[in-house]
Amino acid sequence: MRGSRPLALALLALAVIFALATVFFFTQKTSFLASGKPELHWKHAIVFLVLTLLAVVAANFARPKPARA
Amino acid sequence: MLSAGLILFLAALQGVTELFPVSSLGHAVVVPPLIGLNFQESSPAFVPVLAVLHLGTAGALLFLYRRDWVRIVVGFFRAAVQGRIDGPDQRLAIMLIVGSVPAGIVGFLLQDPLKSLFADPRAASAFLIVNGGILFAAEMFRRRDERRRAVAGAPVLAHEEDDPAYERIEGLSLRTTVIVGFFQAGALLPGISRSGITMAAGLVAGLRHEEAARFSFLLATPIILAAGLFELPDLGSDAPTLLVAIAAAALAGLVAYASARFLLRYLRSGRLDPFAYYCAALGVAGLVFIR
Repeated sequence: MRGSRPLALALLALAVIFALATVFFFTQKTSFLASGKPELHWKHAIVFLVLTLLAVVAANFARPKPARA
Repeated sequence: MLSAGLILFLAALQGVTELFPVSSLGHAVVVPPLIGLNFQESSPAFVPVLAVLHLGTAGALLFLYRRDWVRIVVGFFRAAVQGRIDGPDQRLAIMLIVGSVPAGIVGFLLQDPLKSLFADPRAASAFLIVNGGILFAAEMFRRRDERRRAVAGAPVLAHEEDDPAYERIEGLSLRTTVIVGFFQAGALLPGISRSGITMAAGLVAGLRHEEAARFSFLLATPIILAAGLFELPDLGSDAPTLLVAIAAAALAGLVAYASARFLLRYLRSGRLDPFAYYCAALGVAGLVFIR
């Protein structure tokens, strides 16, 4: 598979957004993307942490690589 | 509060039905009222108790495919670091990630509306009928494919295992895996079977029956495990005692292991349509008898 630098950068940007969401849900009491009263949503934080890691892995797949001998 | 006896009954029921393509959740919602058990699906402990049972089932699947899982985990880390896929283990690892993400995201975002459906046995009964239709349609597609191959002069072998026309999991494309993953998200509805819908999608994609089951079980494991772990803290004050929870998870796991072994053996020569008829019959019974 040929790599794509723009796609890799887009995935990295997505990873940064997911990372910010992770920090947000770990530290802020909120009802954003959740029902009920505002509280800490550690499950949301874990989901966004996993998505962050997956986006980084996907970016690594997408980046152009030197051809193998 | 759910009684210990009822929880153990649900454990056995869940163990049998989780891996058979008949929807364990649909059974947990439909069967107790159908056989007249004193049972509130809307009890706050219901979903967390099911989650504990899921941990037992996930444990059974991890044990059943323990060698596969070691290769898959190692393959994932190697592929993630290299940024490329080398070999079938790495390919399978990436396919399982790609196939799990859609159901994980949909399930996470829609968990509250979906939980309200758990309290409605009649809705689950209707979805069981839909599940029967999906299984039946998948078998119909497969039989049509076999007939076409026979007409085209290709040899029709007695066992798919020897037939090169049908794929192993590693032969699936990533695009097909994503589609199967989205289908898996449909199984968040009580009555739609996760294993059923992924087996059906695998069959339509050209997998052998036994491979479709293996794909389904491997794909289900991370989702079942995550669902179990995520719901565990919600057991709260309505929780069964720790001993009952452990016994129930162990019972669900043992029964699930036996069910998986049986199903894999059955699917070497058997088909999905008996399960389709069973789901349709249970769904109709639920609609008729549950008020």
